[in-house]
Amino acid sequence: MEAWNKIIHTAMMGTDKKMIGVEELVPTLAGAVAVITENTTIDKEEKFLQLASLTYNYRQCAVLPLKKETINIDKAPAEEKQYCSPAAMQVLKDILFEESQSLLQLWLTACAKANRLVSPEMIPSLFAIGKQYKQLRAAIAPCTGKRGEWLCQFNHEWNFSVSQSQEELWNTGTTDQRKAVITELRSVDPAAARVLLEQTWAQEDAATKVSFLEILSINVSNDDILFLESLQNEKSKKVKEEALKLLKQIPGSALVQQYIAVLQKAVTIKTEKALLGMMSKTSLSFQVPADIDPEIFKSGIEKLSSNSKEFSDDEFIIYQLIQFVPPTFWEQQLGKSPQQIIELFEKDATGKKMITALVLATLQFKQHQWAVFMMQYCSTFYIDLIPMLPAQQQEYYSNRSFADHADAIIRYAVEFKREWSIEMTKKILTHAANNPYHYTRSFFSQHIERIPSAIERELGLIIPAEEYQRNSWNKTKEYLVKLINLKNQITTTFTA
Amino acid sequence: MQFTEEQIFNLAPDESSKKSGKDLANPSKWVSKGANEQALWGECQGSGSKPYQTQIDLQNIAFKCSCPSRKFPCKHGLGLLLYNARQPNDFSTSRMPAWVEDWISKRVEKKEKQVEKEDKPVDEAARAKRTQARELKVTDGIEELQLWLKDIVRNGILTMPDKGSLWFENMAKRMVDAQAPGLAGMVRSLGEINFYAEGWQSKFMDQLAVIYLSTKAFQNTASLDETLQQDIRSWIGFTQNQEELKEQTGVTDTWLVLAKQISEVDNISTERYWLYGTASKQYALVLQFIVRGQGGQLTFTPGIFVQAELVFFPSVSPLRAIVKRQIASTMKASFSGYQNWDEVLATETTLNSQLPVRGDRPYLISKLRPVQYNQQWWLQDAEQKMMLLKNEQRYIWKLLAISGGEALDMALIGREDQYEAVGVWLHDEYKLLQ
Repeated sequence: MEAWNKIIHTAMMGTDKKMIGVEELVPTLAGAVAVITENTTIDKEEKFLQLASLTYNYRQCAVLPLKKETINIDKAPAEEKQYCSPAAMQVLKDILFEESQSLLQLWLTACAKANRLVSPEMIPSLFAIGKQYKQLRAAIAPCTGKRGEWLCQFNHEWNFSVSQSQEELWNTGTTDQRKAVITELRSVDPAAARVLLEQTWAQEDAATKVSFLEILSINVSNDDILFLESLQNEKSKKVKEEALKLLKQIPGSALVQQYIAVLQKAVTIKTEKALLGMMSKTSLSFQVPADIDPEIFKSGIEKLSSNSKEFSDDEFIIYQLIQFVPPTFWEQQLGKSPQQIIELFEKDATGKKMITALVLATLQFKQHQWAVFMMQYCSTFYIDLIPMLPAQQQEYYSNRSFADHADAIIRYAVEFKREWSIEMTKKILTHAANNPYHYTRSFFSQHIERIPSAIERELGLIIPAEEYQRNSWNKTKEYLVKLINLKNQITTTFTA
Repeated sequence: MQFTEEQIFNLAPDESSKKSGKDLANPSKWVSKGANEQALWGECQGSGSKPYQTQIDLQNIAFKCSCPSRKFPCKHGLGLLLYNARQPNDFSTSRMPAWVEDWISKRVEKKEKQVEKEDKPVDEAARAKRTQARELKVTDGIEELQLWLKDIVRNGILTMPDKGSLWFENMAKRMVDAQAPGLAGMVRSLGEINFYAEGWQSKFMDQLAVIYLSTKAFQNTASLDETLQQDIRSWIGFTQNQEELKEQTGVTDTWLVLAKQISEVDNISTERYWLYGTASKQYALVLQFIVRGQGGQLTFTPGIFVQAELVFFPSVSPLRAIVKRQIASTMKASFSGYQNWDEVLATETTLNSQLPVRGDRPYLISKLRPVQYNQQWWLQDAEQKMMLLKNEQRYIWKLLAISGGEALDMALIGREDQYEAVGVWLHDEYKLLQ
């Protein structure tokens, strides 16, 4: 309102410097303005205050709504799925109240599986959570339906919930969305993922290139060799290093073949006579060949064992090479079974030192079968191999070694893709009960997905050794029961 | 009556009470429990040897618990109400135990006594003398305040941001000394303006005009209508005797609690309950002041319907009221409101012309939908006329999600050209937005 702006302008300057003119005020108020301005009993400050008060009241009374015929809002399309039952919505509210992402993930998965939708008023809360926790985004989108898609056009931070084609996401999405596209494609069609990447490779910056290469380690194979080798001409050192790292994971790459060639000469079986020639004794010989190709030292293999007193320089070179050669190579090279190979390494003083390199090679080349052999025949327990084992063996070895490596085993156990067995859960909870400051409520809230509901019956038997820890454990136990109940309710509300 | 979980949480004094209450909404926590139409009760095993006795008057929502908590309602009360809302079948209808019956009958007796209570004789002469002395003080205070206002406009408001809050506080204290607490609050709010925000000048001048109008109106009070005099006296800070007010006949209606707003200053929290009379079509504002650590008498929760008799403070535009008698709480949904913005603004114009100094007011308006224009959110009526939304960041996403672009019947609180949405009707059910 123009007259009010003039009042403010005068007020800013002060009536000492400038007094508002009658012509600056609303003409409709001329009569009232005249009464004020012609009043000789009051000073100019009071006149100004009266004129301001008059205009203020006029402004309040003269408000009109803004009429804009062109302004509109598109209606959200009708939903194709049904909404969840009130009981399921109540469970969702309880889960949000407990702030358990693990339970939320379970609820969303159950909701999507039941082909249901959350009621519209809950969508903003779920999107806000999705914005904060990326890992939940994929699960949120199917539960928010058409209303969710419609809603996120008004808030770009919620774009993750719009169902776009993989192609659209790859061409126009954020780096995270593009990474998700590559990750998914790489799992089902590794070659197609690489081709997609090659198409835009020249336009990507170094950091993005590195993050895409990290994803290529999923299903990396001989088919990727040409592309990865071409990256050795990249300007960025980090990109080159990442490509080299991947080449070291491919048995057919020239680099790994080069290492194999060296090891074929460096590690051999020697047979010696024993017991006055009546018996022969087989052992391993470790000797770096004199004609070793100096090129291998440019690929990250160190010549000197300066940082390690455990190895001689030659042993250290061999140790590094073993890490980057698939363990199956030894079956051919030594003509023995995995069990015999492990035993040979174990009984030899130098060989024993090489066992950890074999473990690293098993992990490097994701040789699951060798992981089982290593667990079975090695005298030492290599905990890092647990994720490579089949489910049953994961549980078996975790339970067997739990007492000595409890925390480390729990670290791996939380990554299992299934519920723990009752035996394992009991062990984990007993350890947690004795370490209440390490395994707090948030640990259970995060990993309730892995805890079987049937453990509730056994909880009474889990008692911390120390008296002073009992109170704290009882509270945690109470919380755990609450989480288990919510977990059970997810199942019952979606199957009812 | 049955409360929704949302309504129960709205009764909680803080977040931790909500969480603890939720934990207690569990059958294993209650040693005994029962319910009938009048009350809900239960014994909760706490850390002590004896269980806490928790009881809730369902007719006129009130809580009592034997726990030592100073929070009101305590976690046991909330837990019991939540438990009942979730699993009503666990509460068999039964006779109240003696400890519940005792409390309920005392409450009924107290209410009856309140109605019957006769005022002690008042020394009218002494009261008139006190009033006269105070009016004199206020008159002096107003003269001082007007001089201060004139100084401000003479020197210009450009330098106001540099004055600091103490400068305004000093004048507010002078008004407290002059026994004009209403004016003190107005002066204080001048100093509370965000001088870093764009448009502070307009807000400052609005408030300056309000103060000037209030002081001038008081000086001219004798020539004004008697009801308007009451309004002016309340701006200045003269209080109305609530017991006297309660003696008057009020408006008995089923009131929908549209919203509850809480603000806290100096350990005193002010709860503002916005009500709508479903039969009388009247709006009301009921205030409750609570000193930290103490419980309030009113336990209205937004979204419920309360049958009550309300007495309005005398005003040319009655809004503020007190609850004379609360009869029962019910669940009932209905909507009847203004048809468009033109109707709302016509009412605003009438109210402003009667009462230039006034605060926000609730409005029920039918068929509004949120639209975006100039990167701001507006509410558009069926005639495509729009009004700007206030504090929309608190609720716009929930409003949009519920609306899906469809027009909804809404409850708003505001004045002039900005309104805050507090609730919507969806399938005849009132849903809170905040």
